[in-house]
Amino acid sequence: MAAAGGGGAPRALSQKEQDIQMMLAADVHLGTKNCDFQMERYVFKRRTDGIYIINLGKTWEKLQLAARVIVAIENPQDIIVQSARPYGQRAVLKFAQYTGAHAIAGRHTPGTFTNQLQTSFSEPRLLILTDPRTDHQPIKESALGNIPTIAFCDTDSPMRYVDIGIPANNKGRNSIGCLFWLLARMVLQMRGTILPGHKWEVMVDLFFYRDPEEAKEQEEEAAAAPDFAAVTDYQAADQWGGDQWTSDVAAQPVAVGGTGAEWGAAAAPVSAADGWDPVGAPVPVDAAVAPSVVAPTGWDPATQPPAQGWE
Amino acid sequence: MADRGGERGGERGGERGGFGRGFGRGGRGDRGGRRGGRRGGRQQEEEKWVPVTKLGRLVREGKIHKIEEIYLHSLPVKEHQIIELLVPGLKDEVMKITPVQKQTRAGQRTRFKAFVVVGDCDGHVGLGVKCAKEVATAIRGAIILAKLSVVPVRRGYWGNKIGQPHTVPCKVTGKCGSVTVRMVPAPRGSGIVAARVPKKVLQFAGIEDVFTSSRGSTKTLGNFVKATFDCLMKTYGFLTPEFWDETRYVKTPFQEFTDLLAKPTKGLVIEAPVETVEA
Repeated sequence: MAAAGGGGAPRALSQKEQDIQMMLAADVHLGTKNCDFQMERYVFKRRTDGIYIINLGKTWEKLQLAARVIVAIENPQDIIVQSARPYGQRAVLKFAQYTGAHAIAGRHTPGTFTNQLQTSFSEPRLLILTDPRTDHQPIKESALGNIPTIAFCDTDSPMRYVDIGIPANNKGRNSIGCLFWLLARMVLQMRGTILPGHKWEVMVDLFFYRDPEEAKEQEEEAAAAPDFAAVTDYQAADQWGGDQWTSDVAAQPVAVGGTGAEWGAAAAPVSAADGWDPVGAPVPVDAAVAPSVVAPTGWDPATQPPAQGWE
Repeated sequence: MADRGGERGGERGGERGGFGRGFGRGGRGDRGGRRGGRRGGRQQEEEKWVPVTKLGRLVREGKIHKIEEIYLHSLPVKEHQIIELLVPGLKDEVMKITPVQKQTRAGQRTRFKAFVVVGDCDGHVGLGVKCAKEVATAIRGAIILAKLSVVPVRRGYWGNKIGQPHTVPCKVTGKCGSVTVRMVPAPRGSGIVAARVPKKVLQFAGIEDVFTSSRGSTKTLGNFVKATFDCLMKTYGFLTPEFWDETRYVKTPFQEFTDLLAKPTKGLVIEAPVETVEA
């Protein structure tokens, strides 16, 4: 079963099949080595190495159900999305931004839903969590306050007091991001903000968690990129045949190439295929293209100039 | 009856005198409690009530008319003013004030535990227990807790449904600690056949006739009173054929009045005039 409809099928994939393909790529279907008895209905099979595989068709159905419940709340500010885990925090914040909900990232102060004397006291109408195990405190409190709870449950997650459990992998960073992205898109489609057939212009990657070092690196590269664009125009106008400039141009993309996602994914091996001849006409490079592969040979002098030229 | 002020003063004096001397004062504040006349001076405080919870705001605006609407959706009540507004005829009675002590290296640390029963004699009772360093504080706190715990009591007939319901609908029993209290429907005119303590609670509940039977250490008033309260709570928990019909669901007040609740509570904040920067 699963999403066999990808691959070499001649017809175009339906929205549901595309979503399931994305979920497979993000490892949403991989559970853990244990299975809670209430999650058995969502499990497809147990792999030979002990990991349970989740049936993504059912995940998609539960996502739809959760989206319907979210849309039924008239005031989106009454919904609280929460994640104590770092992997889910960015996703939760972005989800709240696009759907108008309220996000709590990090520690949940006990008593937020029950202690009316606290400053952070709030009475939500719906609660969305990334993991019933790490976020057990909000679950306990919502049970006291008549608050329905939606949660992404792994195969070994406790389902007590969870009203809608979406079977999914809540351990991987890509997985959590993908799920919140899908849920946000479904909610917006049901509300009518996005049309169903079209692609949502917000990218999945926006919901993925970034390590602080990784985030810093990407920002530095993004800052350097505008300089990069200026240089290439200059280069295209003047054929500088010099190794120096072409090498700079080529070596810089090596560093930038890691952020293929941010650059719109036109990871063009085009230039690589052409071959960056050290001598000869430098191929005019578009600012957006970040060839991830650069011919390794003959670049020894080239590795040094970027260090000097770009700092 | 002793003058209220005098009584309180007398107790305070007794407390101070007895401090450190040990457990010499029992039997104070037996049952001759203070009826709720104190509420006369409290009118101003009620008007100044600023609700903190959503339910409080709805009740203040008058969107909720009967307390039964709160019971229907099992909404937790956190502000006692809600109950005061919805159940106007509440009377309270202090059942007992016991001194309880904790041993410290400088002697005993005494606190007072107050048991208060609250009710309109027409189907709503509440029980509050509060321990505090001063008697008056304990009583006040216990009254608030009692109001927060107000529950509906179901009354029925012994046989022949003539007139208003006067007794328990069926045999029910409640338990707390070792004390079990059993209530049995009684014919009209029997009165409340019970010990002094549960009789008070049942009078506040509005039950006119009932036979009771109890077991366990009923000397512990705390447990005895909690057991009768538990018993009364169960009257509405008992499934009888009248409830066999399918439930017709009603929107919760939070959903119905979501627009009203969405409005901000604090109102507009007038900003201080921005000082212009002098060149």
